[in-house]
Amino acid sequence: MANYYDIDDILSEEELVPVVFLEAVNGVGLFESNEANRVEPRSKAELPFWLAQGMHMRQGVSVSIPPCFNKKTREEIGADGAHVDLRSRCSYFYELGCKMVHLVGDKSIGSLLLVAFQTRYKEVLIKAHTAASALTPKFLSLLTKEETKLYDAAKSSTAAFKTWRMGGPRFQKALVLGRKRKPIGE
Amino acid sequence: MYGRKACQLVKELTNSESGQLTTFNNDLFAQVIEECEAHFRDLQALFMKMQEEGTSNQTTKNPDHFGAFMHHLSLVRNKRCIMAYVYNRAEVVQNLGWAVELLLPEEIEEKLSNSEKEYFKNHLATLKSYMTDMDIDLAVDMVPPKDPYIKVRVLENMGNVALSDQEANLAMHAILFLRRTDAEQYISQGKMEELTV
Repeated sequence: MANYYDIDDILSEEELVPVVFLEAVNGVGLFESNEANRVEPRSKAELPFWLAQGMHMRQGVSVSIPPCFNKKTREEIGADGAHVDLRSRCSYFYELGCKMVHLVGDKSIGSLLLVAFQTRYKEVLIKAHTAASALTPKFLSLLTKEETKLYDAAKSSTAAFKTWRMGGPRFQKALVLGRKRKPIGE
Repeated sequence: MYGRKACQLVKELTNSESGQLTTFNNDLFAQVIEECEAHFRDLQALFMKMQEEGTSNQTTKNPDHFGAFMHHLSLVRNKRCIMAYVYNRAEVVQNLGWAVELLLPEEIEEKLSNSEKEYFKNHLATLKSYMTDMDIDLAVDMVPPKDPYIKVRVLENMGNVALSDQEANLAMHAILFLRRTDAEQYISQGKMEELTV
C-alpha cells in the first residue's frame, strides 16, 4: 500500500467505478431519489474506488471496468497513444488501472497500460526537452497527473543542465537562494 | 456522495504549488467532521437495530450489516483525507522553519490555522535549542563558499544595522559587500538579493 498520507493515492481512489450491488444495503443515502435509504440487489451505481473496493472485499458488489479502459480507448491508444486525451477520461489513468487489476482480474489492462505509457513517455520527454513553451499548453492538457510530473521533471532537469553549462558554481548558488526566498515572494 | 467533501479538501492541497500554502479551510474542515459524526450516528443506529433483531454482526448476508459497513468505510476514508490534509500542511510549515528564520511574514501567517501557528513556533524553538546545543548553525547554505564576502543589493530600508564586522547603512538599492554569514538571513527573508556579476 502506498503512503497513507499520499495525496495522489487518495485522489486516485476517488475516481468513479461502475458497480452492481449483489446484496441489499440498508440505511445508506447514496441516491437522492431513494427515500427508504435502501439499496436493492442488482441495482447499478457508480461508486468511488475506495468504497467499491471495500464492498467488493465483502462480496457486496461486483465491480466492472470503468469507461476509461473500454474498447474505444484501447483502440485509440493502439492507433496513436501519444495524442489521446487521457486527462479528461481519467487523470489517474495508470494508478487506477493498477488498482483495478486486483478487483476485476482482467489481465489485458496491464498490457494496455504498458503500451500507453511507452508511447506517451517518449513523446513527453521529446516535448519537454525541445518544445518552445508557447506550444506546450495544448499538449499538456492531454496528460495525466503522473505524466505531468514527468514532464515537469524533464523540464527542470533541462533547465538545470543549461545553468550548469553556462554559469558554473556561482550561478547555481543563486538558484539555491532563489528557492529559499520563494515562500515570501509568492 | 460519501467522502466528496473530504476529497475536495485534499484537492486543495494540489492546487497550490509545492512548498506553498493556501489558507486553511476551516469551513470545509468542519463540514467533513460533521459528515463523520453523521456517519457515526448512522452506524450506531444500524448496530442498535441489529442488536434488537438479534442478528449477529458476523452474518454477511444481512442488509443492515452492509449498510453499517459502508458507513464504516466512509468514516475511514474521511479520516484518511483529513489526516493527509493536516499532515501535508504540517510538512510545509516545518519547511518554513528552515526557509525563513525567526519571523513569519504576515501574508503566510494569516493562512495558517491556530494549531499550525503553534506548531511552527514550537518547531522553531526545537530547531533553535538543538542548534544552540550543538553550537552549529544548520540553516546556512549547503554549498561551501568560495569567498567569505558576497555582493548584495538591499531591497528594503532597514537603517543602520550592526553586523558582525561592521556597522552598515542598509538603505534601499544600496550595493554592499557583506560577510556571507551576515547577508544570508536577509537574503532568505527577501530583504536583499545576491549579485552574481
